[in-house]
Amino acid sequence: MATKTNSIFGGSDIKLSRRTFTKLTALGTAAALSGINSVSAYPEGLELFEEVTAAPAAATNKVKSICSFCSVGCGYTGVVEDGVWTKMEPWEDHPINLGGMCSKGTALANVTNSPRRLRYPMEKVGGTWRKISWDAALDKVANKLNEIRDTDGPDSVFFCGLVHGSNEEAYMFRKFAMLFGTNNIDHQARICHSTTVAGLLNTFGHGAMTNTVIAMQHAKCHFFFGSNAAEAHPVFMQKVFVAKERGAKIVVADPRFTRTAAMADKFVRFRPGSDIAFLYGLINVILENGWEDTEYVENRTYGFEYVKEAVKDYTPEVVERITWVPADDIREVASIIALNKPSNIIWSMGATQHSVGSQIIRASAILQCILGNQGEWGGGCVPIRGHCNVQGVTDMCVLSHFLPGYYGVTSEGSWDWYAKCFSDTPSTSGKITFDELKARFDTLNGESMMTKIGFAVSRWYEGVLKPEAEIDQPHNIKAVVLWGEATSSVTEMKREKEAMEKVDLVVIVDPFPTSASAMPDRSDGIILLPAATRQENSGSVTTTGREWQWRDTIIPPLYESKTDMWIFQELAKKLGFGDHFDYNSIEDVTREINLAVRPIGCQGQTPERMKRQKENYHTFDPWDGRAKGGPCDGEYWGLPWPCWTTDHPGTPILYNDKAPVMEGGHDFRAKWKYPDDEPNAGEEIVRGNLPPTGDGSGTIHWTYNYAKDPTGEVNEQALAEGNPPTGRGRAMLRVANTKWVDRVPKHREPIESPEPDLVATYPTYEDKKFYRVMTEFKTEQQRSIAENRHVNYPIVLTSGRQVEHHGGSAQTRNSDYLVQLQPEMYVEINPKVANDIGVKHWDFVWVKSARGQCKVRAYVTERVNEKTAFMPYHWAGVFEGQDYKDRYPTDGVELARGDSVNIIASPGYDEQTQMQETKVALCKIEKA
Amino acid sequence: MVNYKFVHDKERCIRCGGCFAACKQQNGVPEDISRINIVTIDEGKSGERHITMTCMHCNDPPCVRACPVKGISKREDGIVINDKDKCIGCEYCSWACPFGAPKYPDTGPAELRGIMDKCTFCVIPYEQTDEYGTSILRAPNPKCAGFCATKARLGGDASEITATYNERVAGRLVERQIGV
Ligand code: SF4
Ligand code: SF4
Ligand code: SF4
Repeated sequence: MATKTNSIFGGSDIKLSRRTFTKLTALGTAAALSGINSVSAYPEGLELFEEVTAAPAAATNKVKSICSFCSVGCGYTGVVEDGVWTKMEPWEDHPINLGGMCSKGTALANVTNSPRRLRYPMEKVGGTWRKISWDAALDKVANKLNEIRDTDGPDSVFFCGLVHGSNEEAYMFRKFAMLFGTNNIDHQARICHSTTVAGLLNTFGHGAMTNTVIAMQHAKCHFFFGSNAAEAHPVFMQKVFVAKERGAKIVVADPRFTRTAAMADKFVRFRPGSDIAFLYGLINVILENGWEDTEYVENRTYGFEYVKEAVKDYTPEVVERITWVPADDIREVASIIALNKPSNIIWSMGATQHSVGSQIIRASAILQCILGNQGEWGGGCVPIRGHCNVQGVTDMCVLSHFLPGYYGVTSEGSWDWYAKCFSDTPSTSGKITFDELKARFDTLNGESMMTKIGFAVSRWYEGVLKPEAEIDQPHNIKAVVLWGEATSSVTEMKREKEAMEKVDLVVIVDPFPTSASAMPDRSDGIILLPAATRQENSGSVTTTGREWQWRDTIIPPLYESKTDMWIFQELAKKLGFGDHFDYNSIEDVTREINLAVRPIGCQGQTPERMKRQKENYHTFDPWDGRAKGGPCDGEYWGLPWPCWTTDHPGTPILYNDKAPVMEGGHDFRAKWKYPDDEPNAGEEIVRGNLPPTGDGSGTIHWTYNYAKDPTGEVNEQALAEGNPPTGRGRAMLRVANTKWVDRVPKHREPIESPEPDLVATYPTYEDKKFYRVMTEFKTEQQRSIAENRHVNYPIVLTSGRQVEHHGGSAQTRNSDYLVQLQPEMYVEINPKVANDIGVKHWDFVWVKSARGQCKVRAYVTERVNEKTAFMPYHWAGVFEGQDYKDRYPTDGVELARGDSVNIIASPGYDEQTQMQETKVALCKIEKA
Repeated sequence: MVNYKFVHDKERCIRCGGCFAACKQQNGVPEDISRINIVTIDEGKSGERHITMTCMHCNDPPCVRACPVKGISKREDGIVINDKDKCIGCEYCSWACPFGAPKYPDTGPAELRGIMDKCTFCVIPYEQTDEYGTSILRAPNPKCAGFCATKARLGGDASEITATYNERVAGRLVERQIGV
């Protein structure tokens, strides 16, 4: 492997006296000038010079930890000299990244040491920022939250964020909201992979990536459909290239010729928002040619006939009209992915952020099943998650519709389970009964709000702005707590800004003041709490491949900043439920997770096992991530969930029924409610030797009661019988839940469509009230047509990532290295568009939509075609051309600021999850 | 005998900037220059590739010949280093270097402005002495290569890194030429 090369070197600095050094170089110079190759006096080995070291040796400490930007989960070594984090070294044998990191990862120390950090708690009073003490700050926050709780009810507070937190912190955050008495808590997964979770969970049983990053090396074809991994997840490409060098094909379908596309064997450019039509075109060709895996479809799926029926109209020619892709290109892509197996489908926000996002994911999953890839090493569904622990925070369900481990909030049983866990856990002293927990919640029309799904992070501002009678909760939202949450990542930013101006209190918990401190035009009522960075505390984090890694503290929190755990504990005390947060260590929280979070198998990832893996990383084979011998013999790196017991090795490949469960084997979930229209589905849904037992209603197949198993007996029994506790079911090509409008996907035009005649054939959904708020689908789509937006705003705008920045980029836009690489916001436009409006590269332009406008640089490039424009979404601090630099606390003005694409993005939302449709909007571009 | 070199694999580099940031940190290079620049060829068009440009530690370095004050030298292990105490900032070395490796900063500590800086295989950082006036000389440990996200950039003893590169290219040959 390539890394061996560098492992021969030591890393220590050698210092030598000036005189010796001069002598050495002079000799070298003389030799080179004389034309002789090199006769320098430089001796073998450097030890010789140590004796002349003049400076006192620094106390050096090296700590291995995990990157806190994206979800690839790269390891690195932090070098701390005399208590200062001075350098980083590659963690060369880390099984995932083999030392490699992208610019964000290698800038971690630079970010942590940024002079623009928030140093102490601050409050905005009378238009100026003032330093306050921690005690005063926490008192103010707690008093206000309590006051709102008393007068308007707990649902009048909205909590959001924490996507970079550890699993433990995420669990604490969700627990915090549960005890505060609200489901108004949500995090960034809502706007990044909520549709992945909905789509995959309803097809397979779990909502996560079905592979690990390491497993990508085994693929014979990588099909990037909505992912620009070269920029969004650079180290993922290391594995893709290994496969490529072993003969794998790379296919990229994207509206934009991305850096990933540049490395592909085949690139096709398609129209943003026509994803389902494109995928159905592929399935149509596959079935036409008999390339499907008949045996797999027969044995492991349910509902194939419905799919066959659904795709039959999507011939390559029909699909060409919808997607703007030549029919022959569709045939070619279908042949590459069907004939080079195992192939996979890799996506990120390109596929998820649509009004039909859940359905795009469903179509992707169906494609994988039809090709028989699902459950293969290197095959299957590869949704690469965005943030470093967004998988873990999703699993811990900082979400308004789930409790940790995907227990649905609408079922009282979920709350009963958690009341038990909170009382039984040896990690805290608190006790609470189900009734006491329920009493923490408000009621509406006689019904408890406990079992009502809360607001989504994409729409929370409507809870502030809409008239009280129009929202499904007792009173409007009066306070918002942004806990590591970038306000610029939410669409309809103008409404969000308005909401932030209207609430009584905005609390921002973050290592930086962030653009959120500058966005609302208000003189009072913002409190900033300085949180430690992820490099200043520890806990477990879950990679996109469900691997749990222990992230260690490199240095203690700088300035007055505090860990999230400390802040939760202090706030909980002041709010009266501190006894549920009196953990002695972060490991205590992990143990509570091990106890409570059962549906996805979080029993095996104990702190001890994770730390043992970290010590013995070199025993894991980077080819499959499995330890060969040594103390971790047989375990997979990161004990990928489900990891059912402390003897289980983890499950690297979901739904792989070829391996025994105790060797990482798995299967589709068996627990499905039978569709109302097929009450006797029976064998079609459950397979193997699990007799349908029912649970009284007679319609549910669910032999093992694994979700409420405090002693672990159920898991043990299932494993002894050779089954995953979740049973052996089938992939649901047709969704069992009859509440889904499209139980088999179909193409529907985006909310803002450039093609009104296609809207007539493929209209969006009816308007729908969910997540407490009315959401316009058809109304907005028709409004767009009535206002002639397809004429007035002729260019389709899409957005995405830059490699140097991350998310809302409070961290990366404050790093001088990263800002040197990527200093300004821009819009990518085609040279023809630029010339037509008389704009040269790097001139300023206005990008306008029906919502607002952004003033940015023009990046003239053929990456986009004449009908499409692209903007990165990381930028904030400038709002519709107005620089907000004077509104930040003085020391915390972000180094690089730019206008936010989400000011002008579409007001479309996914019909299942309230995911925002950031990938398709209509815009026009004018010279500024 | 070692001979330190770089290999750049253009079929792997994705312009992620990891090498750039790693070098900045390891060597304290100021804002307006970089010891490693990533150049993109045919951006946005088919065939787009990214190449990292640094000092190549030539066997017969033209910069060494060009420097009028003998401020640049080649070590026995192949690494070309420069002595900032001698440099007069004449920029002759940049005329001679075929790769544009030597840089002349306008920012950073005043006494080093205009003084040539370039890749030293991480042996000498941007400020070649520490706060006690002691020269810093480190083991050759190229951070750009160690941190390279995709392992496109290989740095080390020429025989080792070319062997690694051989293995990789052999895979591609089997696929493309022999069709196995
Ligand atoms: S951001 Fe992702 S790819 Fe880059 S170093 Fe961090 S974990 Fe690795
Ligand atoms: S770190 Fe590697 S892949 Fe990234 S830009 Fe540098 S050479 Fe290219
Ligand atoms: S070897 Fe060191 S000095 Fe040279 S470019 Fe790489 S990181 Fe910079």
